[in-house]
Amino acid sequence: MENKKKFYFDVKWLFIIAIVGFLLVFQVFPLVYLLIRAFFAEGSFSLDAFTRIYSTSMNWSCVLNTLITASLSMVFGVLIAFPLAFLVGRTNLYGRKLFRTLFLMTYMVPPYVGAMAWLRLLNPKVGTLNVFLESIFGLSEAPFDIYSIGGLVWVLTTFYYPYAFITLSRAMENMDPSLEEASRISGASPVKMLFTVTLPLMLPSIASSALLVFVAAASCYGIPSIIGAPAKIYTITTRIVDYVYVGSAEGLTDATVLAVFLMVLALVILFISNFVIGKRDYITISGKSVRPNTVDLGKWRIPLTILTGLFAVVVIVIPFASVFATSFTVNMGKSVFEEGNFTIKYWETIFSRNSIVKSAGNSLISSVWAASLGMIVCIIMAYLLKRTNVRGRSIPDFLITVGSGTPSVVIALSLIMTMSGRFGINIYNTIWIMVIAYMIKYMLMGMRSVVSALSRVSPSLEEAAQVSGAGWLRRLKDVVFPLIGPSVVAGWFLIFMPCFYELTMSNMLYSDKTKSLGVDLFLYQTYHSQQTAAALAGAILILVAVLNIVLSKLTKGKFSI
Amino acid sequence: MSVITLDHVTKKFGDSVVVNDISDEFRDGEFITLLGPSGCGKTTMLRMIAGFEKPTSGEIRIDGKVVSSADTFVPPEKRELGMVFQSYAVWPHLNVFANVAYPLKIRKVPKAEIKEKVEKVLEAVHLSQYAKRMPSELSGGQQQRVALARALVAEPKVLLLDEPLSNLDAKLRERMRFEIKEIQARLGINVVYVTHDQGEAMTMSDRVFVINSGVLQQVGTPVEIYRKPENQFVADFVGKVNFLKGVSENGKIKLDGIDGTLDYSGEITGAVDVAVRPENIRISEENAHFRGKLLSEYFTGDTNDCRITAGGNELRMITDAATYKHFSDSETIGLYITDFIVFPASDSDFRKIMT
Repeated sequence: MENKKKFYFDVKWLFIIAIVGFLLVFQVFPLVYLLIRAFFAEGSFSLDAFTRIYSTSMNWSCVLNTLITASLSMVFGVLIAFPLAFLVGRTNLYGRKLFRTLFLMTYMVPPYVGAMAWLRLLNPKVGTLNVFLESIFGLSEAPFDIYSIGGLVWVLTTFYYPYAFITLSRAMENMDPSLEEASRISGASPVKMLFTVTLPLMLPSIASSALLVFVAAASCYGIPSIIGAPAKIYTITTRIVDYVYVGSAEGLTDATVLAVFLMVLALVILFISNFVIGKRDYITISGKSVRPNTVDLGKWRIPLTILTGLFAVVVIVIPFASVFATSFTVNMGKSVFEEGNFTIKYWETIFSRNSIVKSAGNSLISSVWAASLGMIVCIIMAYLLKRTNVRGRSIPDFLITVGSGTPSVVIALSLIMTMSGRFGINIYNTIWIMVIAYMIKYMLMGMRSVVSALSRVSPSLEEAAQVSGAGWLRRLKDVVFPLIGPSVVAGWFLIFMPCFYELTMSNMLYSDKTKSLGVDLFLYQTYHSQQTAAALAGAILILVAVLNIVLSKLTKGKFSI
Repeated sequence: MSVITLDHVTKKFGDSVVVNDISDEFRDGEFITLLGPSGCGKTTMLRMIAGFEKPTSGEIRIDGKVVSSADTFVPPEKRELGMVFQSYAVWPHLNVFANVAYPLKIRKVPKAEIKEKVEKVLEAVHLSQYAKRMPSELSGGQQQRVALARALVAEPKVLLLDEPLSNLDAKLRERMRFEIKEIQARLGINVVYVTHDQGEAMTMSDRVFVINSGVLQQVGTPVEIYRKPENQFVADFVGKVNFLKGVSENGKIKLDGIDGTLDYSGEITGAVDVAVRPENIRISEENAHFRGKLLSEYFTGDTNDCRITAGGNELRMITDAATYKHFSDSETIGLYITDFIVFPASDSDFRKIMT
């Protein structure tokens, strides 16, 4: 028997090999090539390129800017997310469901929309909010200047704290409430309990959520390019894209070195949060249904609800409203409510102008491809991972995780360097280079969705069908798919949505024929017409909201974002 | 060491009444068990004593001091109780020693004294050599002892146990019953123990509170609730029982469908439910109350577990192992009832319930 098994060739290997092959060619090889190129720019090993980064102040300042803005966003993000997660998840705050939806919504909105909104609100000369505050408090100059490190941190924080909010909420809600009760019955006051039991137990989650915010903020391109560029504040991501546009050999080398720095930073952090902190994570989901006990806020209930509401208004309602207001404004110097300053022509433009419709079509096609191909990979991998013990089944999973953790600019740069004919594959300037970039960056979302659905379906359900005489395909059709179907659809949308309005990678990979919606919006925002950009952003917001509601209905609340 | 008084305690979650107007007193040093099927309100009762839930109405006093009432509420940390949770709730970020020392640290006990007390209690639960271990390195049974040690270390007035044995395997569960009972007897503290396992309730308790749907069904010693259940629910939930319908008249009970009567000296007359424990049915040709047909028998080692039909009634009889294979299947045998319990007939037909 033993001998026979050795020669037995498992068909499942074919799938693994195909998927791993794909990831090796389009993900691992380009990234490794970047690494090599950074150290062997002139054919032999040299650290020259790295020394140049430190010695040219232009490069060095962008590294510093990135580290400073990402660190500050991380600190503020967690400081905001922790109390919010607690209030929404564990107390009797009014309107908890509404708040949760609001806070999570930002997660699916393209970050550059936030940048556009805050630019409009906090422009030092004409910012709506600045003007408003000036007139109310009689100030002689604007209280806020968006064109600053502070402004950048503010927008990054308001856009990336939801990352921490999601992680922390999940941890708080999965904690066994009797761990806290045991502390109370031992004589600890609620505050003492918070510091001796709740916080220590949450520490791994806090740490990993902080790292998540850090990486997201450091890898972000949309926000620093819209806010930082006019302010002459450059970050690693904006610098890389600039170098790519310049296109000189030296520029590309500098871009490579900066990208390698960012990639290593992101992957080290990914490793730390997955393997070091993950190991120490105490929050395990027990088989029992856990009902976290709700903290009674008592006399603080109304004040805290008002405070949370104010935060939601400032961070979510006002910016989104300002985007919509902008899209209806004729003269940006005046309020949309002033006589004759209201128009719907920008909304007409976005649905009628050929170039915009064409871009939207491009985005639709490439993101449908990315989501569909991505889900095929995800379903096969999730099945192999959860339902078989084929050796090597977790390799693609690992690669997908790494791909998603790699900053977008790095993925795009690595594809530009390797997929433009130098190594026998030339897909540069085609839609496929974008589809591949999208898949590498966003497949993880679909993977998670299918894996978690499969974990919820006990193998015995399938075994019961097997015992009843159902073959492999029949089981898939009768048992597995009906149970995970909604999650598969949800996963498809989770890949589709960010691809549809993707900016960073598209901006580096597009050609005249493959211009995407995100790129078009960005170009309008920066060069042509902020109102048109705002109308596009508004349309995207509506689309995201609608898809979100559909998703939420489809998966009974499990997978709204 | 202390007395817990429940005074018309009621708890509602929204419209559903979980605990309905319970009044009683847990006396000094008593081992009290709250017994009932899941969802009967026993855990809620315990959590109200602990202070994790507030009664909707009524009053709870510990040693005469009001801890819960309409206008007073003492939070759990001020009640000086010990509690073992069903999930053990051993803190995964602290080692065994730190887990057990926690209640003393909160009370600002000097370090040397903490060490001494923790070592003593760890010894009592046989965990001395595990003091430095992290909870993840312990088995379920060991974690459960850590939880017990932590609950006992501050010498609480009352020890609350919420189904502490339900996650252990059968052998260990049985051993822990005796260990908990022994610790309680040695320390002389009050225990309030919640379980749905009637075996645990029978072996450990001084008094058992049988609860169903939030309503107290009976309070009594294990012997009382087993031998003199006050209603059909208690008879059915505690131990195994057969229910027969019949009519009580002139010191005799005529059983429905059965040719034969039982002598009855009690006061209930008219339509009755008769509860017969399987071990109270004996095989006897000469004293037979009635005859029944043997349907099947199962050898369990120490007993012979039989199914019998008599006049449309299906009965379970647990009798001497020596009778196994003594009769052939479908043979008619004489049956003698050694003991039985009579209730006024209820609307619901209990006969279908075979336990």
